[in-house]
Formats: sequence, structure tokens, C-alpha cells
Amino acid sequence: MRVPIVPAALAAALMFLPIPAEAQTAACAGLSDATEIVDCVDRIMRGESSRGIATMEVSTENWSRAMEMQMWSLGTDHALVRILSPRKDAGTATLKAGNEIWNYLPRVDRTIKIPASLMSASWMGSHFTNDDLVKESRLIEDYEITLAYEGDRDGVDVWEFDLIPRPEAPVVWGRIAYQVRKKDTMPVYAGYYDEDGVLVRTMTFFDYRDLGGRLVPAAMRVVPEDKPGEYTEVRYSELEFDVDLDEEYFSLRRLRDTR
Amino acid sequence: MKGAWWRIGWRNLGRNRRRTLITAIGLALGYLAVVVMAGLSRGLVSEMIDNGTGMVTGQLQVFAEDYLPDRGIYETIGGREGVDVESLVARVASDPNVSAATPRVYAGGLVSTGRATAAGVILGVDPEREALVSRLLSHIDEGRAPTPGQYEIIIGREMARQLDVGPGDEVVVVAPGADGSLGNDLFIVAGIFTTTITELDLGHAVAPIEVVQELVALAPGRIHEIAARVDDPWAADAAAAAVAAEVEGRPEPVAVRSWTEFRPEMVEYARLVSSMEWMLIVFIFGMAIWGVANTMLMSSYERRREFAVLLALGGGPRLIVRSVLAEALVLGAVALLAGLAVTLPILAWWKAAPPDMSWVYGGFTMAGGLMRPILRVEWPTSMIFITAGAMFVTALAAALYPAYRSSRVPPADTLAGR
Repeated sequence: MRVPIVPAALAAALMFLPIPAEAQTAACAGLSDATEIVDCVDRIMRGESSRGIATMEVSTENWSRAMEMQMWSLGTDHALVRILSPRKDAGTATLKAGNEIWNYLPRVDRTIKIPASLMSASWMGSHFTNDDLVKESRLIEDYEITLAYEGDRDGVDVWEFDLIPRPEAPVVWGRIAYQVRKKDTMPVYAGYYDEDGVLVRTMTFFDYRDLGGRLVPAAMRVVPEDKPGEYTEVRYSELEFDVDLDEEYFSLRRLRDTR
Repeated sequence: MKGAWWRIGWRNLGRNRRRTLITAIGLALGYLAVVVMAGLSRGLVSEMIDNGTGMVTGQLQVFAEDYLPDRGIYETIGGREGVDVESLVARVASDPNVSAATPRVYAGGLVSTGRATAAGVILGVDPEREALVSRLLSHIDEGRAPTPGQYEIIIGREMARQLDVGPGDEVVVVAPGADGSLGNDLFIVAGIFTTTITELDLGHAVAPIEVVQELVALAPGRIHEIAARVDDPWAADAAAAAVAAEVEGRPEPVAVRSWTEFRPEMVEYARLVSSMEWMLIVFIFGMAIWGVANTMLMSSYERRREFAVLLALGGGPRLIVRSVLAEALVLGAVALLAGLAVTLPILAWWKAAPPDMSWVYGGFTMAGGLMRPILRVEWPTSMIFITAGAMFVTALAAALYPAYRSSRVPPADTLAGR
């Protein structure tokens, strides 16, 4: 039986929060080394601090729902996500501080810590695990990166990188295939393979737009390979970068603050 | 005329009463040993089946066709529409082999105090009916069972230890709802159960069914399982077939299975034990046969003059063989009566008051069931008869050689004392 932790929306939102670093699109464009390019693109998805609002649509065989949420992040270690709607879940919040994840449940006005033993557990009918959230590290730290293909894919000129985990890297994937389009070094596609080389899930990026003054993929969709027809889609409506946040902001008190 | 053989046999046994008594006691003790050992091994099997199926699963289960193996929260009986729970439970319970049936809801969730959180199965039950089907609620050793309709929960001993909670404490229960929402509510810990089965003590929490349904956004008509108790575990297969026929044709397709299907290893174990009953017969009577043969040789040796006279009078060897075998059979009958006289009271007493062995060994878990430290016996009805038959066969087989020798007595030499 699946063990639920927090709504899939929270996990996905935390995982894919795009945060630009100093390195910008223009800088990425000049690179030619595979590792440098991936690192540069990776930084577009991560970075110093951000604040945003996103909608998340989760569709499973048995239900589908959309949630609106607000989120704050600082580096890769701190994040806070609060659900704004639907009403039933409004106020539910998740805090990530280092390797710990806490949930706030407004209905019972309680904060609960998610134990380490559940980090690899799957979320309620979702396509994510706790690891997606906590093991959020820079790709170049955990993977050996090689350029596997360069050229046309569905009419788009792309680089296709092969990411193989380093022997001691604490990651769950056996391989990641990562596509970046050359034009503006925006991520296009990522395929996640297990240790047996079987494709487990795919992620596609789209709706590239200016948000908060940066070009980012404003939407992404995750599709689990073993559950046809199911998907999770995140769309950002607002994003602000390099906002004034420090580590103290990500406190349990803030987690409970429903305003 | 036929009765005469038995009379002769009986009287021959009286020639040396002490010898007859000793031989009969030997056979009777063999009978006692086989039947009591069979009773004990059947008691062990029953204890294992009772505990393996009686703790939680019940001996018979009814659920939606697609429920297994994933136990998805959506796979309720009757699908999204649900079912008239009371009428379906009543139908299952109407089978004569079924003594009780109860509805259940399963959810995967978290039980948390805030600082400490444990993951596990949240089992929704009707506490009153559940107590008639499974023994889980009787293992509450602190506090009490949850009250129907109340946000009360009982958790396993190990989970309670990890969360550091006791009866009266408050916990948050979080579980994904069938509508995709995140069900969460406050519960009061009503009690703590200790089964010594790690899976249960660490990973199970039990709350009233209607409260769990509310938590995971399931309508009252949506349940995952009906568990039923079948008092005679070996009648469970027949009961499953009868219940399947009973619910056949209802709008909601259901699957019915008995414990022999979801605990096949226990069936295999029972088979192993019953095959050992036969080995027991072979070993014990295999030893007894030599003692009986010795007695028969002695007794027929003493009668060799009588046989010589019979042969001299033209009685023929078959007459003598018949006489010796008749004696052996009568000996068997005497031994059987003695065996029954000893065995049946001992078994009856043993079954009524199984000895407490906790001074030798504590309770332990076997095949996922808790074995109590008692020496339980079951009436090995078939073995009472089979062993009786085996005893006659033993007596007869032991007499074959003495009978053959007696029929070959040389009349003239024997009568002349040579």
C-alpha cells in the first residue's frame, strides 16, 4: 500500500521551482562542454531565492484535481509551499529545511515531521517520492555527464545528454536522459531510468516565457511510464527572483502561519 | 462354529495371564502414544491456523475483484457506487459454516504526534462485529477498543513506543483520500494492542470504520473487504464456495477466498503434519510388532503338543494357523479396549485443560500467527480408528510366523517328546 506524505502538488512544486542563478541564458549559450552546459541549465532551475505562484494539476486513473499554491525558496536547502486552493486543502503547507520535511495541517492545526524512513515512499497516488524533494542537489555533483546526441529532435535543434550517477551518489535513478534546446539553452525533456535501464517517468518542459525578468519554462509535465494516462502538470503564473529571504524565514512558526 | 475360534483364542490368552497383560499393555501404550501424538500435532496445526487467520484476516474474505494484489483505496466492493453493506454482510454471515462477518476499510497513512511520525495501515472496523471475527481487539493490553463513531484509534505496542504515546493522548492521522485530497484528523489513542507480531505491533492502527471512511473520503457504502469467521477452518473452502454462489449475480462483482488460498503455506504445513502421523504409526507399531511376535512364539511353543494332537487327528495345518491368528486378534482386541480406556480420558482431559507450558517456553510467532505457550490437542478422530486398525494389523502380522511354525509341528516327534 502506498504511503502518503504530502499532496503530490507540493512535492512537484518544490522539485521544479525554477530559480535562476547569476549564470543566465546568454552565458550558457557560449558553452560547449557537456558538464558545463548541463550545470548552466541546471542553475536556471535552481539558484538563490525566489517566490512564486503556481497551479498544479494531478490526474490519476481515479481522480484529478488542480491546486493553486504559493511558494518560497532559498538555495536548494530551503523551501516553503502553501496551498491556496481548493478550500478543502487551503492552508496546508510543507516546509523543507535541510534534510527535514515538515507538514502543517490547518484542519487539525498540527505540524508533523516526515520521518527519514519514508523518504523513498511514494506520495498519495502521485508520481513523486520524498527523495525528489530532499535529494535536490545539483546534477553535476551526482552525475557523470556526457553528450550523447547533438542535432534535430522533432524539429528542434538540441543537445541530448546522458547522466550516469557517480558510484557513491545518493540518487535513485540509474540514468537520466536530458534534452536541452540549443537556441536558448532551455530544457526540453528529461527521461528517468531505473537501475535496470527501464524508463520510469518522463518530464517535458514547455511554455517558455519571461517570468520575473527571466526566460524559464513556465510549465512542465511529469508522466509515469507504468500508469498510462496519468500525469502531473505544474504551471507558474507568477515568479519573482532574488527576493529578500534568509534561512530564518523557513521556520516552523512560518509553516503554521496561514496568512 | 466360528465363535469357537474366538473362545479358544480368548482361553489361550488366559493360560498365562501375566504375559498376556504385559503384551496388551505394550500395545495399548503404543496406541496411546500414536493417538495422543496425532492429537498434539493436530492441536499444533489448529493453533497455527487459528492464530494465523484469527488474528486479523479471518478464515474467509470477500472483496472487489480488482482489490488484490494492490489493495488500492479506490477498489471498493461495488466500485464508486458502493454497496448495501448490511445486506451483503448478512448474506455472507448466512452461510451455516460462517459464524460471524464484518465489514472493513483499509487505508495507508501516517500516525503522528508532530515530532514523531509512523507510517502504517489504518484499518477501519466495526469494533463489535470485529471482535467476533478476529482477535486483534482482544490483544489490547492497555486502554480499550475504539468507540463506534468517535475519533478514537488503537495502535500497536511498537508504534506507541516510537510515538511515545499512551491511552488518552492525541495523535494526527493523515491518509490520502479517494478524491485526491489529503485526509487528516485528530484522534485520541483509546488503547494499545500487543500481538508480538511485528508487522501488526509496528504498522497497524485500528479505528471505527465510519470515521476512517470520513477520513479518506469514502462514502458509507464503500468498503474494501468483508472478513468472516469459519469455526472449523477445514470447512472454509466449502464456505467460500457457498458464499461465492450466494453473491453470484449481484450487480457488484466480488471475489471470495478462504484462508487456504491466502495462507497456502499453512495448508502445506498441515499436510506435512498429517503425513507424519502415518510415520508415527509405522515407527511405534514397527517396534511393538517384535514384542507381540515374541509372545506369540512363546505361547504357540507351549501349545505344540496340542497342535501335534490336532495334526495327528487329521486337523490339517490351516486349522492351526487359524487358531493362532484368532488368539492374536483377540489379544489385539483386548489391547484396543485397554488403549481406548486409557487414551480417551487422557485426550478428553488434555483438550479440556491444555497444560500451560510457559515455564518451558514463551509465546512465539509462527507462520505469522502467535502461538500460545500451551500444549493444545485436537480430537484426532480419523486416527482413533486408523490406529485401531493398525493395531490389529500389527497383532496379525506378528502372529504370522508363529502360526506358520505351529502348523509345521511334526506330530510323531512332538508327541514322543523328541
